[in-house]
Amino acid sequence: MNEARVIAPEELIPSVPETIFLFRSCTGSMEYPGTENAIKEVLDKLGINIVMDPDQTCCSGYLLTCSAHKPELSLAVTARNLAIVEQKNLDTYMFCNGCYGYNRELAHILKHNPAYMQMANDIIAKQGYHYEGKTGIFHVQELWYRLKKELVARAVVPLNGLKVGVHYGCHYLAQQYQILDDGGYPTFQEELLAAFGAEPVFYKERQACCGYSVGRGFTHKESVVQPHLFKKFKSAKEAGVDLMTTTCPGCNVGLDREQPNLAKRYGEEFDIPVIDLSQLLGLALGVPLNKLGFEANTVPLDKVIEKLGLKKGE
Amino acid sequence: MMPREKYKDKAENLYKQVDAYNLVENLETCLACGKCVGNCPVASLNPSYNPRQIISDVMSGEARRWLDSEEIWRCFWCAGCYTVCPNDIHFPLLMMQIRYMAVENNWGLKYIMPFKRFALRAREDGLTFAPSEKGREKIKRYRRNLGVSEWPEISAKAQAEYKELFDLTGTTEFLEKLSDEAERPVRFKYLEGRIVGE
Ligand code: SF4
Ligand code: SF4
Repeated sequence: MNEARVIAPEELIPSVPETIFLFRSCTGSMEYPGTENAIKEVLDKLGINIVMDPDQTCCSGYLLTCSAHKPELSLAVTARNLAIVEQKNLDTYMFCNGCYGYNRELAHILKHNPAYMQMANDIIAKQGYHYEGKTGIFHVQELWYRLKKELVARAVVPLNGLKVGVHYGCHYLAQQYQILDDGGYPTFQEELLAAFGAEPVFYKERQACCGYSVGRGFTHKESVVQPHLFKKFKSAKEAGVDLMTTTCPGCNVGLDREQPNLAKRYGEEFDIPVIDLSQLLGLALGVPLNKLGFEANTVPLDKVIEKLGLKKGE
Repeated sequence: MMPREKYKDKAENLYKQVDAYNLVENLETCLACGKCVGNCPVASLNPSYNPRQIISDVMSGEARRWLDSEEIWRCFWCAGCYTVCPNDIHFPLLMMQIRYMAVENNWGLKYIMPFKRFALRAREDGLTFAPSEKGREKIKRYRRNLGVSEWPEISAKAQAEYKELFDLTGTTEFLEKLSDEAERPVRFKYLEGRIVGE
């Protein structure tokens, strides 16, 4: 551990970009399309432009972790997608910890192994691309924290008294270098939410994994993942969490969609809605509810909306 | 009484064989400190799963024990182990490669077979986990109600090139060959942290 792990937001993102490349997330755009829309709405309020590109594909990381394809494919896909961003001279912002983690990890491997870089570039050259390793890879939440003051200045719905339990997600925290916070005990999202008047709750199992890959994806092992999630939700409930936030649509699936199954197995309803941090910022900044897509959520948000004094249809 | 270790087929340089992609490289710096175990959600629920033990066995050439084990299919790939490791040992990248080795030997096929279909589907869609036509209706409705395009905006060019990358990297072939006919059974190697006698 000879490199500093934590980086200050002003150092990570020295000048606030005028335009960012927003990396489409498969899970995000299909399971919770409101997340991408919330990001667009909030950035619009801040005057930051978004570029997306229909030529971008899936990051291909998830199926790699399922051993369903070999690293060569994911390295080539990463090089191709990032080459598209590089052509535009922009930095890449992800809103899925999967996209973020896999792109960072695979780009790191490419940049530190000339042979892999060569291999990937030889393959994508057939499609007319070349990856240099220039584009920066960031998570949208890093931009939120960098713009804390600007965001708070535009808040119109105070989050006063809302007890929010943050879920950071493993694949953000596991990117050990040059992330905003200590992967072992992060607090920056709590700081951000407190600035909006919310009451962040440090529940005991805050850093426990969402279980998505085991429960819904990889080994379909309910017997492993449900006891794990039960522990997590139990500790959140006991700490009085009203709302859980994620920064990854995959985590959101794991935590939101799995609650009815937990209720079936354990006979205990947790009833804790789970939304993306960007959607909560959208609420605070007065983005209309119908632009935030909460109808895609399994656990309804009614109580939270009522607590914030918002009406459906607003 | 703890069962004693017996000689099993020790594979010299197993570590280098497992880490065929040279992605881990620093396994010998493992301090056996156990921080990874303490931060592992699977280990906390299931004492037979132990990343430190897996590293130690891989280093000492205990080949068979993990390749035909149930344990390697429990890892969440959350990288909690890597996050706390004082020597930055990238255990998930080791696990990924142990699994490839297991699958090459026909162990654990049942765990990756469900993904054959998803991967072949992703190869067409350029997106992972897109549902079948029926499942798409709900997505389209939610997206319509948001006032955005009915389907994620992915171009035909992106889909064709993504598919081509599967072919160019040998992934299509790898997937088509996957079959569970040759499946060999896996079982727990440790129970409650103890070695199961062989
Ligand atoms: S945390 Fe790292 S050094 Fe410690 S036992 Fe685990 S792998 Fe080895
Ligand atoms: S990646 Fe696997 S071994 Fe590491 S902490 Fe997560 S479940 Fe445990």
